[in-house]
This record gives sequence, structure tokens and C-alpha cells, in this order.
Amino acid sequence: MFEMFEYEFMQRAFIAGLFIATLASISGTFIVLKRYSLMSETLAHSALVGVAVGLVAGYNPLWMAVLVALMSAWLIEYLRSSFSLYSDAILSIILSGSLAIAVIIVSLGGAFNNSLFSYLFGSILSVSNEDVMTIVLFGTLSLAFLLLFAKELYFIAYDEEVAKTSGIKVKFLNFLLVSVVAIIIALSIRVVGSLLIGALMVIPTVAALQYRVGFKSTLLISLFFALFSVSFGMSLSFYFSLPSGATIVLCVITLFVLSLVINKR
Amino acid sequence: MQISFKVPIFEVKNLNFEVGGLKILSNISMEIFEGEYIAIIGPNGGGKTTLVRVLLGLEKPSSGTTKIFGKKYENFKEWHKIGYVPQRASLVDTNFPATVEDIVSMGRVAKRKLLSRSSKEDKNAVEDAMKKMDVLALKDKMVGTLSGGQRQRVMIARALASNPKILILDEPNTGVDVVSQQRFYALLSKLNKEEKITIVFITHDIGVIVDDIQRLFTINEKATICNNPKEAMSCEDMSALYGTQAHLIHNHKHEH
Repeated sequence: MFEMFEYEFMQRAFIAGLFIATLASISGTFIVLKRYSLMSETLAHSALVGVAVGLVAGYNPLWMAVLVALMSAWLIEYLRSSFSLYSDAILSIILSGSLAIAVIIVSLGGAFNNSLFSYLFGSILSVSNEDVMTIVLFGTLSLAFLLLFAKELYFIAYDEEVAKTSGIKVKFLNFLLVSVVAIIIALSIRVVGSLLIGALMVIPTVAALQYRVGFKSTLLISLFFALFSVSFGMSLSFYFSLPSGATIVLCVITLFVLSLVINKR
Repeated sequence: MQISFKVPIFEVKNLNFEVGGLKILSNISMEIFEGEYIAIIGPNGGGKTTLVRVLLGLEKPSSGTTKIFGKKYENFKEWHKIGYVPQRASLVDTNFPATVEDIVSMGRVAKRKLLSRSSKEDKNAVEDAMKKMDVLALKDKMVGTLSGGQRQRVMIARALASNPKILILDEPNTGVDVVSQQRFYALLSKLNKEEKITIVFITHDIGVIVDDIQRLFTINEKATICNNPKEAMSCEDMSALYGTQAHLIHNHKHEH
């Protein structure tokens, strides 16, 4: 069972994967409660632009992904607060726009190959030492922010206006939250892939919500589901040569369906 | 009744509020002092909620000056002194993962220092607020499973948890049955009399609380301030304000 840990690439994949499961599920709880679910998909596609630039220009794709996802998150927040546009429409526009730009860049640069494919769907084989370092570095910072401001973020998710009238810096914290989510998504695409990361952010929380328990318990159930899906998914992926991202997503969807059935009213 | 040398909680002078050229509030001046119980009435679209949003700093006036505890809004930091219960208070998203205690604890969030865990003082304040609003027994229940009246009391407990000087309530009665409403009015009156909490209450049920309130503001773009609500409230006034035939129902029973 544990022979997979004899391989260094599996050790790296597990460290990166478990880190990402923690980050995705905790940040995902706030994203789902704020009705920002689609944002994770949009930022994941924006991160691809960074990957494309990185691959074509020879920079570290993960760092570029973080950079572009951050810029995209800020653009979304700016458009949302400065223009009277529907926020889901903004997300939709940026999602397809980013994908279009990414495809043009890679096709012009001739980088339409396996390397890009691994960023689309995730590949545990391709997680390098440098990737693990990047994930641990940015991931720790993001986790610190989420835990430090968990109560404030929860209050904002519950009622933004009441939070504002209580003296909470809502605009600033919203801005920080989308920035952290952008970073987490960009980091995740190595393991889960940009087309599938949205699922790891949103589904564990939606599954946890089925148990109708308080905030802390919801957060812990969501975290457990994400950690379980990533470890089980990666193990299946190793033993049956399945793509890691897709296997992880199917695991978390199975947990969601089970939660739905168990808690059927 | 008012003590003029006291700094008012809210001080509004010549306030105007416009949206896209449409006047919502016109030349409003008023002061709200500590310990008062004020009801705000007026027709829908008359600007009641806008006025409250300006008082809460959620909207900026088009012109005029507003002060909160004697300070300009941009310099005011003690927001925990203000407890706000919005219109939708009793209409909670039933999927939101929150126990009664989770919600009431939110009232302490802005007060805590960064990096600090909930202190004993926080826990006591939360428990105290739940006791005052008679929801302590429900503390582990999910808010989504509560009745409208219970939710309403939970929302007020949340506002009370920060030990506010003033409670601002914007028609928090949607979806609440009559018996719960009566209990709610009695609780508000008790908070005002015993805890000395200033209350500003937007309502349509003016007749029911007319015995409790000290001043009545009628808002219909302009403000009319009435210092003796019991005598001044007549059906003619109400009809003029609402533009229809209005009936004032007095409720003299307040032994709850």
C-alpha cells in the first residue's frame, strides 16, 4: 500500500497535494458562502495565461500563474465595484477571455504540447522540488491570512453590510480574500489542473453544508473531505495510472453524492 | 426632555440625498440623543431606509453634514457602539452554516484584537446577549431551523453582543407572527428602559409602540419630528403621510 512513497515524485506530490487540499477547502468555504463559486473557475483560467507566458517566454510557469491570477482577481474586484455590471457576467467574460489569450499565446509560441496539458488537467509526475517550495511558501502565507481573519471573513460572508456597520474593513478583506484565492488556485493547477481546481474548492464545502452543522464543524468536514479526496485520488492515480486531477475530482464528487444521500430530508 | 449640552449620537444638518437626479431625502436636520426611543415611519420609498443607511455610514449624503458621536464619519472608529439589525434580519439563508451562538458571536468580531482568541469577556458578552433576548436555550441550534420570531431575537442578540449604545432596527418584522412581535416590542422597551440603550426603530406598526416611544420621525423625502407622539399622532397625520386612509390602532396592553 505504501510503496508509492518510495518514489520521490510521490512524496512531492503528496506534500503539494495535501497542502493544496487544506488551502482549497478552507478558502473554498468562504468563496461558496459568499456566492463566489464561479470565481474559482475564472481565476483558474486566468492562471493559464500565466502558465502560457511562462512556457513560451521561459519563466517559471507557476510564478507567472500566481502573478496573472492575482491581476485577474484585482480586475474582477475593480469591475465589480466600479461598474454596474452583473458579477457573474464579469466572471464569464474574464473566463473565456483568459482562455482565448492563453490559447493564442501557446499556439504562437509553439508550446502546445504535453507541458500545457499537464497544467490543464494536473499531473503528479510533474511536481518538481521547486513547485513544492513555491506551494509551501505561498501556501503558508495564504493559510495564515485565512486563519487570522476567519471570523471576519465568516461575518462578511454572512452579511456584508452588517459587517461593515460593525467596523470591519470589508472592502480590504474582500480584496485580500480574492488575492489569496488567486494564489491558491494558481498553486493548485500543478496537481489538480486548471480545469478541475474549481471542483476542489467548491465541492468539499457544498458536501459539508449538507450536514447542517455550525461554521467550525462545516470547515472541518470540508477540510477532511478535501484531504481524503486528494490522498485517495492520488493513490488511485498512482496504482491505476489515472490522471491525478480527474481522479481527485471524482473522489470528492463521490463524497458529495454520499453526503447528499445521507442527509436527504 | 433632551439635554442640549450632551453630544448627540447622531447629528444631521441640511442633509440631501439624490440618486440620478431623483431626490430621496430633502433638507433633513435632526439629532438623536443617548437614551431615546425613536420610531421612524413613512411610506415605502419615502426614504426611511436611506436615512438609516446614511446614519450608519453605508451611504454618503449628496450634501449636508452628518456626525456620529460628535465626530465626522471618516474619523469614527468605535463602530461597536452601534448595533444594526437590517430589514432582512428574520429571513436567513437556511443553508448558511451557523448556530445561534455562531451568529451572536459575530457581534464580538470587530471588537477583538488581531491574533487574539475569544476572551472570557467575549464569551460572557455573547452569553449575556443571548440571555437578554431569551435565546440561550437555542444556542446550539442552527439558525435555519428557527422560527421567524426566534431568528429576529437572535439577530438582536448579535447586535447586543458588542454592548452598543444604540440599536438601529429597520423593520425587522418580516415573516414574524403577531405574538412574537408583541414579545419583541416588550423586549425593545425593556432594553431602552433598563439597559438605557437608545433605540431607533423603523416600523409600520406605530400604533402598537406609541406608548413606548419618546419621539416620532416621519420621513417622506422631508422629515417631520414629533416630540409628543401620543398626542400628535392622529389619523389625519397618518393619512397625509401615507396618502391613503390610515387607521391608528392603539395597544394599551403591555404586560407581557
